Amino acid sequence: MNVQSNSYTFVYSSIIVVVVATLLALAATALKPAQDRNVEIEKKQNILSSARITASRENVQKLYDQYITDSYTINSKGEKIEGIDPFEINLREELKKPQDQRNLPVFECTLDDSLLLVIPVYGKGLWGPIWGYVSLVRDKKTPSDSASFIPYKKIYGAIFDHKGETPGLGAEINQAFFQIPFRNKVIFDGSGRFHSIKVVKGGAGLSSLNEVDGISGGTITSKGVQAMLDTCLVSYQTYFKSSNK
Amino acid sequence: MENLFDLFVRNVFIENMIFAYFLGMCSYLAVSKTLKTSVGLGIAVIFVITVTVPVNWLLEKYLLKAGALAWLGPAFANFDLSFLSFLLFIAVIAAIVQLIEMVIEKFSPSLYNALGIFLPLIAVNCAVLGAALFMQEREYGTIAEATVYGFGAGFGWALAIVVLAAIREKIRYSNIPAPLRGLGISFILTGLLAIAFMGFMGIKI
Amino acid sequence: MASKNLKLLINPLNNENPITVQVLGICSALAVTVQVKPALIMALSVTVVTGFSNLIIASLRNTIPPRIRIIVQLVVIAALVIIVDQLLKAYVYDVSKKLSVFVGLIITNCILMGRLEAFAMANKPWESFLDGIGNGFGYGMILVVVSVLRELFGSGSLLGFQLIPQSFYEAGYKDNGMMILPPMALITVGIIIWIQRTKNRKLIEK
Repeated sequence: MNVQSNSYTFVYSSIIVVVVATLLALAATALKPAQDRNVEIEKKQNILSSARITASRENVQKLYDQYITDSYTINSKGEKIEGIDPFEINLREELKKPQDQRNLPVFECTLDDSLLLVIPVYGKGLWGPIWGYVSLVRDKKTPSDSASFIPYKKIYGAIFDHKGETPGLGAEINQAFFQIPFRNKVIFDGSGRFHSIKVVKGGAGLSSLNEVDGISGGTITSKGVQAMLDTCLVSYQTYFKSSNK
Repeated sequence: MENLFDLFVRNVFIENMIFAYFLGMCSYLAVSKTLKTSVGLGIAVIFVITVTVPVNWLLEKYLLKAGALAWLGPAFANFDLSFLSFLLFIAVIAAIVQLIEMVIEKFSPSLYNALGIFLPLIAVNCAVLGAALFMQEREYGTIAEATVYGFGAGFGWALAIVVLAAIREKIRYSNIPAPLRGLGISFILTGLLAIAFMGFMGIKI
Repeated sequence: MASKNLKLLINPLNNENPITVQVLGICSALAVTVQVKPALIMALSVTVVTGFSNLIIASLRNTIPPRIRIIVQLVVIAALVIIVDQLLKAYVYDVSKKLSVFVGLIITNCILMGRLEAFAMANKPWESFLDGIGNGFGYGMILVVVSVLRELFGSGSLLGFQLIPQSFYEAGYKDNGMMILPPMALITVGIIIWIQRTKNRKLIEK
């Protein structure tokens, strides 16, 4: 057979294309379920860990079913929207929409004595996207509280992660020393106005209700975290105030 | 507009293909012996990346991404062909390089003489495929952004190779320890240049 | 194993090392060397792809039409890389996230095309397979050495286990933050080349 001829070359390339395409399609279809499950497991681990529950790959499903008692989608007026699975919402796409058209996912987590709302957040760091989950704990209403009572104003836990922040600097936002200070901070001021948690350069007092220490050398990423909390949580403020479940 | 300029500067100075991601190192080290050939290869790389990134962007948006086939009708909306992206990107790059080579040969023999020998090298230059993959990963929103990104990435690569070539010409007669000559000192020089370029990190425009 | 075949495996580790001597495949190598684990996975992936692409191309070498030779090679490499990428995503998800685009960049890793053109097109499948594995190892070796140095001095750990005891830190020892940044990968490779050529003087460039 003449390997130089046109028809041979043509037939040869067709065969190669068909064989390769079939192989790849088979491999991709066979491995897709495992890949999707990885993504799902990671997301569930993140949701749980923002509620201070550590889950391994093995027990994540069990813990998730046990603690995450409800999940739903709301709009910026705080009304529930039916028919949208909060787990499937792509936050990046939602944030491009005007505030009053966003679909906002909420995950409810029931611990022994308290109820948490887990809210996903997404924003921009220095190099690329940063994201995370923030959980807010429901305050107990006391008789002295007036009409300005806000049930969800205190942060219970927060975790953050990033795609490619500078190692050793901005990348440290996924470390506990940065995340733990967010606990017990408050996102509404005394008169009930929403404000973000400020990430400040050195020396945020422990007593401060809305400031945490930034990362020295990772200022832009730290500011990114602050902006992310601001843009993502602000749409929920009506819901945080009104939810009287 | 400002945004595009920002993108360009970022990709030339901060997210430089060579200094931050080490892409295209093979030809970078092999060709940077003389300034003149480096300039030639640099221009060829700028050209190829600026053309291939937007083409691959179109491919990504209308063919490969999950749900990208929706324009064919709702029946196609569920296809996810992203597993084919490596194959298609590299095929597009190889085809475009070939095409550019033929066009240049036909219309500008002098340019062909200057760039021609570099073009086949470029098809397997990691910086070109790398730019396509970064474009996919960073999900640039518009074709303008993708084009500017491609131009910036190519320009940054060209800048890096020209700088290194100029330094290598200067140190040709320096007294470098024998085992370090050639490849070794080039690596260390690139490392030092990369440290210098890190000074641009965090600039806001 | 015949000594000729053994040579195919061992030569790329030193005298014909793809990174420090042939100057191939540096592109995708250095960005993944911040920690040992991704570097190991990357080295393994590259070894698998070089081995099998050499094997496939060597088996097909007499049937490939010369005019579309390069395209056929690229298609074989790209297909193998896609399979590796899909496997990584399915079974070692956390590492595959760290490697991100660098798995895809194995396609343009010059070692692959270089070995296919220089060896597999002219040799029998089994020898080509060994040559591919040898080159993959030679590449992986440098990757692992660089990543061990960077992780040890940059984060004080290896494979994620803390090696430098806490008492050192209390005595004033600090991790070298420079090691995790890109430039140090280049300088580390430069120094490895220096050491290798001091020992092996016939590699010195004139």
